[in-house]
Parts: sequence; C-alpha cells; structure tokens
Amino acid sequence: MSTLAGAIRASATALDAERTRIEVAVSNMANAESTRSTDGQPYRRRDVMLAAQPAQTFEAALGQTGAVGVRVAGIVQDQTAFRRRYEPSHPDADAEGYVSLPNVDAEQEMVDMLGATRAYQANLAAIGMIKEMVAKSLELGK
Amino acid sequence: MSDISESSVISALRRQMTISVAKQVAAAGNLANIDTPGYKAKEVTFADTLKGKLAPAVTNSTFPTKGGNAANTGIEIKEAAGPERRDGNTVQLDKELLTMGKASGDFAAAQTALAAKFRLVRYAINESK
Repeated sequence: MSTLAGAIRASATALDAERTRIEVAVSNMANAESTRSTDGQPYRRRDVMLAAQPAQTFEAALGQTGAVGVRVAGIVQDQTAFRRRYEPSHPDADAEGYVSLPNVDAEQEMVDMLGATRAYQANLAAIGMIKEMVAKSLELGK
Repeated sequence: MSDISESSVISALRRQMTISVAKQVAAAGNLANIDTPGYKAKEVTFADTLKGKLAPAVTNSTFPTKGGNAANTGIEIKEAAGPERRDGNTVQLDKELLTMGKASGDFAAAQTALAAKFRLVRYAINESK
C-alpha cells in the first residue's frame, strides 16, 4: 500500500540525489584547471550514477509496490582523454612542453547543473503538492 | 431507503482519495527518477476493474457495500507507454506535474465532499445544535 509519507520520502531521496549532482558539477568546474590531484595526475571529471530504489522499504520487504525513490549508485571518474595545452613554462609541462589539463568541459557542467536544478525544483513542487494533500486530509478531523 | 451516513457514498469517496494518493505516489516516484538511466515511468490504472468495483457501490444504496477498503480498489501500477529518451528513461516532467496537480485536486474535491458528509452526521448527533 502506498502512502503519502512514502511519496514524500521518494521526493526527498531525489532532492538528495540532485544536490549531489550539483555538488559534483560544481567541483568539476572548480577543478577545471587543476593539473595535480592526490594521485599526482590532473583532476579527472566526476560523473554521478543514479539508480532507482524503493523508498518504502517495509512495503518492498513485503513484496508490495510503494513509492520509488532514487539513490546515488556511485560517483565515477570520466575516463576520456585529458585536454593538452602548449605551455613550456608550466611546472607540470611534459618534455614536449605540453600540460595535461582536466577533461572538464564548462558547457557540459553548466548543462548538467541546469538539469539538476530543474529536477530539484520539480521535486520540491511535488513535495509541496503532497503536503497540501496531507494537510487537506487532516482537515477531515475538524 | 437512504440514511444520512450512507456508507456507499463514503466508501466511494474514500476510494477516490485512495486512487488519488496512489497516483500521487506513482508520479512522485517518476519525478524522483527523472534522471535515472533506463527508468520506465509508472502509471496507475484502474479502469479495467472499475466497472465491477464501482457500480454496486454508488448506483444502489441498498446494495451491501463490500468493496470499501483500499485493497479492493483495483489499483494497478503499470509502465506508462511513451517515447524513450536516449538513456532509456520515459519520464516526462510536464506530464508528471500535471498528474500530481490533478490528483491533488481530485483528493481535495473528495475530501471536501467527505467533510460535508461528516458534518451532516455530526449535526444529527448533536441534535441540530
């Protein structure tokens, strides 16, 4: 049996996931020029993987259908090639004078952030509508 | 003969509220997974079982109403047909928001009617005071 509380929980998991996407996009942007990360390599662009999961664990355990939430299945590194720029004076330049720069693409990050923001807003609107229904049902007792 | 707390009307209203909640839950789940690759949008259908379940409840008030509880509303959750995005996701933002708005409205309507029904009963209990 699906409940409104379960629906709110599903939307809340989505807020969490979308916030993670924004966080990751922001750190990608922030590190667009980081030529050294902890492993000594230039920063690699991160990507968020999302997966559906039941938001109502009790119902799911009983084999019933409840609200479906979302979770961050993992944050993976983008394995595309680094950008290269000719800059012989740079301390991280290789023998040929090229510097490897992170595989971050500002436009892509902006689009990702916009998408995540819109999804966040949509889920907030959803929570608002569910809250309205809960408030309305409580009025029955008046 | 119909009495003031006619249970067929109340159970029909309750069924409408249950269906609205189920729709809301399905749409909230779809919205939550708007960016999940391969996720297929779900939708609530009950039209197939509607005929058998709803008809005795509202048309004949003397008919014993058995199908009043939520388990008997015939709610089915199916995958919605619709175009697939490149990542295999079929959720449409506007459609889901529309479903949620409509479910919210339907719920409010049923609640208003149910509250009116309860008010009548309370009025009778309080001897019209």
